[in-house]
Parts: sequence; structure tokens; C-alpha cells
Amino acid sequence: MTTVSVRYIVDNIDAAIDFYTTHLQFELQMRPNDLFAMLKHGDLRLVLVKSVGPDGPAGGGAPMPDGTMQEPGGWNRFSVEVPDLAAAVEALRGNGVRFRNEVVTGVGGRQVIIEDPSGNPVELFEPILLDARLSPSSGQPGR
Amino acid sequence: MTPDPLDAMRLPVIPVEPRPEFAAILRRRLRGEPPPVRGRGATVRYFVADLDAAVAFYCEDLGFEEELRPAPSFAMLYHGDLRLLLSVPGAAHAMPDGTLPDPGGWNRIVIQVPDLAAAVDALRARGIRFRREIVASVGVRQALLEDPSGNLVELFEPLAGYHERSPAGQQ
Repeated sequence: MTTVSVRYIVDNIDAAIDFYTTHLQFELQMRPNDLFAMLKHGDLRLVLVKSVGPDGPAGGGAPMPDGTMQEPGGWNRFSVEVPDLAAAVEALRGNGVRFRNEVVTGVGGRQVIIEDPSGNPVELFEPILLDARLSPSSGQPGR
Repeated sequence: MTPDPLDAMRLPVIPVEPRPEFAAILRRRLRGEPPPVRGRGATVRYFVADLDAAVAFYCEDLGFEEELRPAPSFAMLYHGDLRLLLSVPGAAHAMPDGTLPDPGGWNRIVIQVPDLAAAVDALRARGIRFRREIVASVGVRQALLEDPSGNLVELFEPLAGYHERSPAGQQ
């Protein structure tokens, strides 16, 4: 078992499946109904669930005991490694994908944050060679 | 055989532990080859308010291993093939409009445990907060707990009939 699982809350299962398979080369593994789907990208398994209210079925997308419904968004995210970030950004922009920021260069690599149709962040990351050492003046290592 | 009287003045010989991985990396560097790309695993980044508290939580309560902590604002942990990056929000993470990321939200890592009830009991005894108690879902039981910054971690236990593709089938 080497699979790593991450769960994202989405507004619309099909829009999310389309986004992850079209733009990020995820592979659809199952979509048993319009509340749940499972996708795969390397060793990452992405579990998508649609948030439901108290009348919805039990499961990952159900509300909390106090009635709070789950929502997409936030800042925590998985990261997808790309060999050429500039090329990936250009292609994604051409396809109308939303970006939260511009490419930033950190200690270990370059990265940018895109959003899926529900507003969940996905980090695209291009590693810089191991020789890219912490420079004393950079101040903020490990971004 | 007569002992050499000078032995008393010699330093003890300390055997060096061989590190084949390091030697392999060094040989590649000397040959001018690029470092190997780590092809396995997946990376997730969580924002945390207190790095020490977060590292202690993930390592001591959830069995993660600390890989790197090069700065007070960043740590890299592993749990199997999951690489978890913990970042304390700072200027380096600011969006173009100045917005800083913060912990929380609902998206989460999902960790399989063999016995969810036992895991929940043990974690509760250690004072871990649960956002949702154990609930049954399709093929699994799951619970939602919070790290010290309020980030979610989902624990699940497969139930009878839970379908998992074999690793061979995934390749």
C-alpha cells in the first residue's frame, strides 16, 4: 500500500473530475454517484466529495454534529510536481484555469497555486536542483 | 607476542558506518549526473500556527517522522509515502493582494488505521480534539480530528467488503 489519500470537498463532482483529468492528468478511478469520486495521480489518490446537508446520506461529505456543513476552499493543499512550471502555467492560463498568485521561487523550487472549479487550491511545483542551497540573505527558507 | 608499548598512545580505531545511499549520491555528483527524481509518494502542505506544536502532534500522536526542520517556519514530515510540509504563514506565502494563508478548512489528509475505535480512544486520552466522532460511511468507518492549529486529519478503518485495488492493479 503506497497510496496517499487526500479528500477535497467540491460543489460539483463532474466539474471537478473534468478539471483534474483535463488539466492535471488525473485518472478517474470511480464515480459511483454525483456525491463521490476517486481519482489517481501517481501515488496520490484524490477523494472528491460533495458537501451535503443533514438530509443527505452519511459519509465523508456529511455535516458535523452541530450541523456545520463542509466547504471547499482554505489553504491546505496537495502539490503536483511538474517538470517545467513556466510551460505548465502558460498552458493552464490558455485553458482558462484560475490562479491565486504568480510563480514564486522558494528554496527548494518554484511554485504557483491554481484553483479547481470549487475554489480548492492546488500547488504546482517545479523542483530546483539540489544545488540550490539556502542562501543566507533569502530570509524565508522552506516556503 | 609482545604488545607494542606504543599502543597506549594510539587513538582507538572507530569503525565508520557505511552509508551506501550517500556513497551512491556522491558518485553520481562526481560523474556530473543529475540527482535522481523521487518518483513515489505525494506531497501535501498544511499551514500551522505553531510549528513545534504541529511537529509534536504529527510525530508523537500520529506516527509521522520528522525529515527536515531547516527553519522555525517550515518542517517536512513523512508518513509512509505521504510527505507533509508544515508551513507557518509568513511574507513568503502572501498572495499578490497581501492575503496570508491560514490553517483550517475542510480538505484533509486521510490515514488508514487497523482499529479506528482503539485509535480514537488512544488519541482522546492524549487530549486530541475530534471534530466528528466515528461515523459509518460506504465501506469504511471514519473520524475527523484536529491538529493543534485546527487542520483536519481523517482516520478511517475499512469495513468488510471494502474494495481496494491491489497495488499491482494500480500500476
